[in-house]
Amino acid sequence: MSKIIIIEDAETIREELRTFLTKYGYEVVAPTNFEHIIEYTLSEEPDLILLDINLPVFDGYYICREIRKSSDVPIIVVTSRDNEMDELMSMNLGADDFITKPYNTQILLARITSILRRIQGVHIQDIITYNDLKFNLSNGSIIYKGNSAELTKNEIKILSCLIKNKGKIVSRDDLMDFMWNSDIFVDDNNLSVNITRLRKKLEEVGMKESIETRRGLGYILP
Amino acid sequence: MNIKDYLKDRTLFLLIHFMLFTIAWGIMLLIEMSAHIIILIFCIWFLPVFSFIITEFIKQKNFYNEVTNIMNDLDIKYLLSEIIKEPEFIEGKFLYDLLKQANKDMHEHVKKYKDMESEYREYIETWVHEIKTPIASARLIIDNNQDEVTKNINYEIKKIEEYIEQVLYYSRSNNVSKDYIIKEISLTTLVRNAIKRNSRDFISRKISIDMEAVEGTVYGDAKWLEFILNQVIGNSIKYIREKGGKIKVYAVKNENNIALTVEDNGIGIIDNDINRVFEKGFTGENGRKFGRSTGIGLYLCKKLSDQLGLGLNLTSKIGEGTKVSIIFPLGKVNLMS
Repeated sequence: MSKIIIIEDAETIREELRTFLTKYGYEVVAPTNFEHIIEYTLSEEPDLILLDINLPVFDGYYICREIRKSSDVPIIVVTSRDNEMDELMSMNLGADDFITKPYNTQILLARITSILRRIQGVHIQDIITYNDLKFNLSNGSIIYKGNSAELTKNEIKILSCLIKNKGKIVSRDDLMDFMWNSDIFVDDNNLSVNITRLRKKLEEVGMKESIETRRGLGYILP
Repeated sequence: MNIKDYLKDRTLFLLIHFMLFTIAWGIMLLIEMSAHIIILIFCIWFLPVFSFIITEFIKQKNFYNEVTNIMNDLDIKYLLSEIIKEPEFIEGKFLYDLLKQANKDMHEHVKKYKDMESEYREYIETWVHEIKTPIASARLIIDNNQDEVTKNINYEIKKIEEYIEQVLYYSRSNNVSKDYIIKEISLTTLVRNAIKRNSRDFISRKISIDMEAVEGTVYGDAKWLEFILNQVIGNSIKYIREKGGKIKVYAVKNENNIALTVEDNGIGIIDNDINRVFEKGFTGENGRKFGRSTGIGLYLCKKLSDQLGLGLNLTSKIGEGTKVSIIFPLGKVNLMS
């Protein structure tokens, strides 16, 4: 399990972010005291740091620079100051990525995974399971009781969205929005076609549970 | 300044001299002085008077000609008093001092308003950054508690964010200091980001998007450009037709520019309104009909484009749709690659 440190002084954001990231399987540390934040962060040995810029005691730029002096831990700067200058500054001080508030949490999550993957290799976080189905997000293969199949980019997105929301109905609009946010601009017809193909592939590997259609509401993996 | 006007200005002075001379002449006739002596006295009297007037005229004419020339060449006219030489005649000196004082006072006055404006702008910037924290919190709370209600709240919050962004760019657009960074930007990424920001509207209103023909790179500030494009696409969505809405985004490379065009098949703009769409606060026919227009969006786009050195064109046919093009001029840098 990867450990993430959230350095953020706004309490609500800190706590909600902790809840959110914990839900996605990260170990989260969120210090509330910023007096010795640099020593504290280094002693925790996190896998990734989410760093705000406007902080009490030291500002984020300073913290970023100080941490870089003794550690290569990935740092994502998360700030409400959004101009190119701040981004440039963060990158110059050794931050790995820069996200502006208010952020789309899916995007934040995607950035975190991609940085961690780059740093730690493929083995983390990339296989999600649904009952007996093993779904490898990085190469798009599904394995069910020894049978395997390859999914296309669109099918990967649909299946991962449905598995993450298993037991809940996902509306067509939500599904499409999820895909659009991953740069796949599908329309209504495309979505139907993709769902049909995905169903067929799941059937081929012998999976009994399939994507159910709830008329007027959306799709659900039971 | 010509001699006629100058003499006119000196009429009283000359008149008094002529009257005095006439009186003297009368007395001289009475005491039966010879005509030669009268003419001699006339010369002695009027020679210095005329030579005085003429030297004065030349002096003043030189001075005022110089001032007028400086004024004509000057870009910033109110700096005149800083540039002209102090005149040598007394009235000129006097006026020169007054002008200097007035100018100084005006500078202070202007500075006061400049300070006020920049203070206000700083406040707006801080405010915008501060309000983003509670918005970010709200968004996270929504993400952690997803249901129908929070989904709707999320939609509204997104709108709030757009309005806030408008405030930020409005205050930035008025500033002379340039807080943008020009770098190479991929048009595909730019368009994708702007479309993603409006994904909810595209999906729920079943608007199809065609962005196949977007390619190439341009130079600009990514944030500013995204704002402009987002406004343009937002407008297209706002005025799209109810059924079969279609938005097409494409880039065309011309000889000396790249034009990024957003084309919709919406309700269009009537001819009378087209020339005024970039005016501040102009809402036009569509604004009245749909009541969702503030008249700020396109005005801001135009202003920001001007600052970035980009062109912004709008053409429209009522009932058929609207085309908005952002024109990126190709400089040496682009042409090399």
